[in-house]
Amino acid sequence: MIVVSDISVFIGNRRIVQDASFEANAGEVTAIVGPNGSGKTTLMRALAGDLRYDGRITLNGHRLETLKTWQMAAMRAILPQSTNLAFPFTVREIVKLGLTGGRSGAAEHELARLPEKALERVDLTGFGGRFYQELSGGEQQRVQLARVLCQVWRPVLDRQPRFLFLDEPVSSLDIKHQLIIMDIARTFASEGGGVIAILHDLNLTSMYADRVIVMNDGRVDCVGTPTEALTDARIRHVYDCNLKVSTLPTDQRPFILPQSAVL
Amino acid sequence: MTTGPMSETVMKPAVDWRRRVLASSAEGDRAVIARLSLIVLFVALVVIVLVSLASGASDASVTSVIASFFDTSGIASALSVRDRIIIWDIRLPRVVLASLIGAALAVSGAVMQGLFRNPLADPGIVGVSSGAGLGALSVIVLGNTLFAPVVLILGTFSLPIAAFACSLLFTLILYGVATRRGQTSIATMLLAGIALGAMATAYMGMLTYIADDRQLRDLNFWLLGSLAGASWSKILASGPFIAVALLVSPFLARGLNGMALGEAAANHLGIPVQRFKRIAIVTVAAATGASVAVSGTIGFVGVVVPHILRLVIGPDHRYLLPAAAMLGAILLLLADAVSRTIVAPAELPIGIITAAVGAPVFLWILLRRRGIVDL
Repeated sequence: MIVVSDISVFIGNRRIVQDASFEANAGEVTAIVGPNGSGKTTLMRALAGDLRYDGRITLNGHRLETLKTWQMAAMRAILPQSTNLAFPFTVREIVKLGLTGGRSGAAEHELARLPEKALERVDLTGFGGRFYQELSGGEQQRVQLARVLCQVWRPVLDRQPRFLFLDEPVSSLDIKHQLIIMDIARTFASEGGGVIAILHDLNLTSMYADRVIVMNDGRVDCVGTPTEALTDARIRHVYDCNLKVSTLPTDQRPFILPQSAVL
Repeated sequence: MTTGPMSETVMKPAVDWRRRVLASSAEGDRAVIARLSLIVLFVALVVIVLVSLASGASDASVTSVIASFFDTSGIASALSVRDRIIIWDIRLPRVVLASLIGAALAVSGAVMQGLFRNPLADPGIVGVSSGAGLGALSVIVLGNTLFAPVVLILGTFSLPIAAFACSLLFTLILYGVATRRGQTSIATMLLAGIALGAMATAYMGMLTYIADDRQLRDLNFWLLGSLAGASWSKILASGPFIAVALLVSPFLARGLNGMALGEAAANHLGIPVQRFKRIAIVTVAAATGASVAVSGTIGFVGVVVPHILRLVIGPDHRYLLPAAAMLGAILLLLADAVSRTIVAPAELPIGIITAAVGAPVFLWILLRRRGIVDL
């Protein structure tokens, strides 16, 4: 479980995140949504331990500052928005870097084939020998996800849940792979791990998230289920965009058609 | 980090034969090729060392050289005392020094490239070698006056230590200028390197005005890069620094691999990036400083060797670093053989040869990867 209490993050003299508080539970997909520049990525970088912050963040009960780099690496893995490489690595070599910390949790006999298994999960079977830099942006993104999955292969290790932090995991993917990747997140959570994902697609958020954190201007505007978080009024006020939220007749999940916008 | 994929501009290493060999192991796993290459390089290094020991102005052969290793009694030996001196006090120090320096240059290049995430980073190109040169030169010229107390305390180590200290300073300045929030700007790094190199050259120029005639002759040879005058005392002074750097480098491999993804991602993988960077910078400075202190600035080994190896075995530093050490040693031994024979009985400074061959290769690398320097 991740508990964020009253954190503020400064970059230079600018306060990017202000007094943010929320919890992200194991077994759930937590989505962070909000307009560009609302502080989503900065918030995630603070969670990742990349940025200094005021306030308190705990990861499975440990304050972030007290954890060593390798201990954090055993508890959470992070998918960045995009990754450029300096050298010509093959896809398999990149995926295998996920095993650097040696705490994947996979059985000994699985380890040798783990990169292939991870690639299979992100629908890149047979891509191991390709050069990363020759792939399309979406394919690179999925290779990175395979690497991240290797790092925390088992969602629970030593009875502790582990977390996936995904920064816009589906931003450069086609619709099929958006669903595949979100299903991976869903499965990871249902097997006992936790997922925090920054998403721009409110419909995917509604489909996959158990909990939604709406960020606006550096503050947490709302934490709640998709039905609670995605309302006409909130979307109008946060995104400055007049959209009509509708609900599916089957399970009452909200959906939003851009066609309904009145700008 | 928000820039899109640069698949168009980044190099396209599409070599078919490599893929075919790769198909034998797990796809994309180049560990087999890498291990084979390490073995081949090792055998080649041994052969070249033996040949270098056996060839020279006198007529001692490989077999007698080997025999001289095993026979220490000195009585039953077929080798005369003269041959023994030639081999032990002239050829062997030179071979050892060439190997150590070749390995040091290639490894410090590879480590620096991994650290800066940039295949063009090389101590010789970004001014760090010039910094080391400045340190060494200061001791040579001012050792009897301004730095006399230092020389008194450090003895023969004062030269490598001064070179080490200055190259460390230059590396730190370079890193400080070129890197912001874990992202190194290639343009800034190269430009800062030019400035640092120019600065070091200027100070060195001033020092040559203070130097006396004998010092000047030494300096001139040394500035061009030379292995002439290799001796056990030089090896004892600089060798420890290089040896420590070479022994530490394998422990940097994991960190360098992680850094290929970027500093933040390396940290997320569990690599203590700050500590890793400090060790890497000190390693580069020690290897560069110590080799410059003995042999002057021998250029391009550090950029050419890792690049060639990456084409064959890939960028995995667990294999790249030891392979670079061996290939660096091999190339410098070959260059040394050329430098001794091409204008015999005189000797060409080895730096001229590595630059003459290395600079065109460097241009070729730039041509192939122009994308990374298009600013």
